[in-house]
Amino acid sequence: MLIALLVVVSAASWLIFSRHRSPVGDHLTVYYTKIDGQSEVAWDVSMRPQQRDESAKEHLRNAVLYAATQAVAGPPSTIQAVRFPPGTHVISANVTGSTAIVDLSKQIETQTGTFGETGEFKSLVWTVTALPGINAVAVRVEGQKLETLPGGHLELDQPLQRSDF
Amino acid sequence: MSWTNRYSVRIFSAFALLVIGVLAANVPAGAQQHGAYVFDGKRIPFTHLTSQNGKPAVGVNDPGLKALLDDVGATITWQPGQRYVLVTSAEPLVVSFAVGDTRYDVGPVTQQASFAPFLKGGEAFVPFEELVRALDLAPKRDGNDVVLQPQLASIDVQTSGDGAKLVARAGIPLDARIVSDGDGKLVIAFDGVGSTLQRSRSVRGNGLRQIDISTEGDVRNPRTIVTLQLAPGTSHGPLSTDDQRDFAIGFNGASAGQAVASNPEPSQADQSSSQSSEQPASPAPQSGTTVTAVDGAVIAAGYQVHVAVSGDASYEWHRLRPPDNRWYVDVHDATLGMPATDQNGGGPVQSVRIRQAANQTVRIALSLGDYDVVDVQPTASGLTITVSNAIAQIASTAKTGSGTIGSSAVANAAPATEPVDGNWKFAPQPGAAKTHYDAQNPRLIVIDPGHGGSDPGTVHGGLHEKTLTLDMAKRLRTILIAHGWQVMMTRDVDKDVYGPYDSAHDELQARDDIANKAGARMFVSIHVNGFMNAGPHGVTTYFSKSIDVPFATDVQRRLAANLGATDDGIVKSKLYVTLHATMPAILVETAFLTNPDDYAKLDSPSWRQKVAQAIADGIGDYAGSAPGDSQNSGQ
Repeated sequence: MLIALLVVVSAASWLIFSRHRSPVGDHLTVYYTKIDGQSEVAWDVSMRPQQRDESAKEHLRNAVLYAATQAVAGPPSTIQAVRFPPGTHVISANVTGSTAIVDLSKQIETQTGTFGETGEFKSLVWTVTALPGINAVAVRVEGQKLETLPGGHLELDQPLQRSDF
Repeated sequence: MSWTNRYSVRIFSAFALLVIGVLAANVPAGAQQHGAYVFDGKRIPFTHLTSQNGKPAVGVNDPGLKALLDDVGATITWQPGQRYVLVTSAEPLVVSFAVGDTRYDVGPVTQQASFAPFLKGGEAFVPFEELVRALDLAPKRDGNDVVLQPQLASIDVQTSGDGAKLVARAGIPLDARIVSDGDGKLVIAFDGVGSTLQRSRSVRGNGLRQIDISTEGDVRNPRTIVTLQLAPGTSHGPLSTDDQRDFAIGFNGASAGQAVASNPEPSQADQSSSQSSEQPASPAPQSGTTVTAVDGAVIAAGYQVHVAVSGDASYEWHRLRPPDNRWYVDVHDATLGMPATDQNGGGPVQSVRIRQAANQTVRIALSLGDYDVVDVQPTASGLTITVSNAIAQIASTAKTGSGTIGSSAVANAAPATEPVDGNWKFAPQPGAAKTHYDAQNPRLIVIDPGHGGSDPGTVHGGLHEKTLTLDMAKRLRTILIAHGWQVMMTRDVDKDVYGPYDSAHDELQARDDIANKAGARMFVSIHVNGFMNAGPHGVTTYFSKSIDVPFATDVQRRLAANLGATDDGIVKSKLYVTLHATMPAILVETAFLTNPDDYAKLDSPSWRQKVAQAIADGIGDYAGSAPGDSQNSGQ
């Protein structure tokens, strides 16, 4: 009986303490690009804590998804900002090494010029690379890798980093 | 009845009860409780609707849900196997659900749902009522139906100076109208929306005294009435909107379109820089003192930021009110001689922002993590800002200070420290901008008129970017040739450089190939900007590589000075065409076709001639007085 109890306690302890703790805190910093096209403004959003059955890796991936979605959504409409084309949203997000892979919907292909493209992707890259362990963002559109947006200006076939802006 | 039959009956009965129970649990909640959901006068056939804890749950793949989200301008993010379900409203607010968690977030507000989202048949189901309410729709029973009634989500009064501004917002496009105006009352009707904001509230000052909100009509045709009690003599402007979702009206001269007080920029340092960037300043002062570079390094004591300043200047530094751990250093009587920058720092420095904060002030704003001991000392080359967490490391606990930079401060050198990991650099050190690029043809400049042929670029009001860029490129070519330069154009007619309807990559690479194969000394791509609204305006020079910076700086200076246009500065971006040109390369966005004032300028041949002349002058500044004088070129 005592042995069984010990086994149960050990198993419970293992389950509780063996789980890797997510490096993501309880807040995310989201950036939007001001209408000057280059300055970034930060604001915080609350991040859902890591759940019991959620690994650290999954929590980071979910944080990337949430952060990227916040960046693409942009600040409330009363605030002037460089915004993604209407309807643009994040389809999925993943993490490979220190690179986040963010898949965007096709509305991103709406031409917004050098100004828009630069402001949009700077916001996305700054936001996602603010997460621990992420230093680059690979962009996909409807699951496809692409070199530039159609009629676009930015090079997208390599992951974007903060130093690109 | 034999015992086998009795057991058969029992087993059958139990099975029947089980089946009934399962069926009951899966009967769509809507069918159990009411006829149908109705939105905007249409019935929405939800087919993935079920019940959880007696509350409706909707599947994320429900075609009815997708139709509803389309109608209200919202999008949904979910993939099989994904825990999070994210809905972005038109506001925009991100509504976040997660399978197994009753917590959900609506923008910055965390709430508890009536049940946790769950998986069923591989599809995520979320609480229906919480979701629609987050989209500013109120489920209201009307007979056998449930009407998803749009709600007036908020009414805010923002005061500014002597004026005030009232902003109303809803989850759907609004119809708003002034129904009466007189006797100290202004009555505004919002048709098609109900409101839970029904109340009266007093408003102090700026012409507004009280707001009364009431609703009328019925569930399917609601109307919200907003009655404003005005102080005697209060004037107001028209009821205006940009997108039919936000309506604003200004009082006592306040503009309905001015920036609102809810802008989340929190700090005085940020606000100051915001003003300068949103209302771009006139050309930078020419005092002769320049902040030329800022770089930083991790040191044993913490972190150091070095600010290179040429010339004499005064400075002051402050910490924002604790616990806000942000600091800023203002260098007065100085010009920012490097790109305005927002950058992650290293170690305890979370971020560094450098701006021309005012006409004669350069501001370096630091956001710190755990460290909160800062010291600022003049050095032979400018300023050193030291950040530490140990008072013993640097003899300063001050939260503010001031001093002068220049010959009198040369002796106050900072202690020598050895940089370790985490170095960063915002601008090239003296000499670093001189690259190893040696032009095969130092007299050759390649001009690239943006877009062309099947790609018109920005099109607005009858003007095509591709036509304007070609016109300005030809004007620039004429000027440069007259000054003795050799000029090659990537195109001199309306055509695609690579081929009709080619990819942007092939098209841009073809333009770079021309310059790279020719061994040109410089590459200038001319463009016309555009955006989704009329707000942005002005001239910008983009660059991608460090060798581009001096070139971009010289050209932008001339553009800003000669055109009388808003100076949007030089901006770094990973633009394909400048990145893959091996020589110093810039992309000039001359003006915004989508801005009415800029449009008028672009439509003017004389203004386009000025653009060409300004670029040529900038090229001259960059290259020195004579073409091919690579010693003076800054390369």
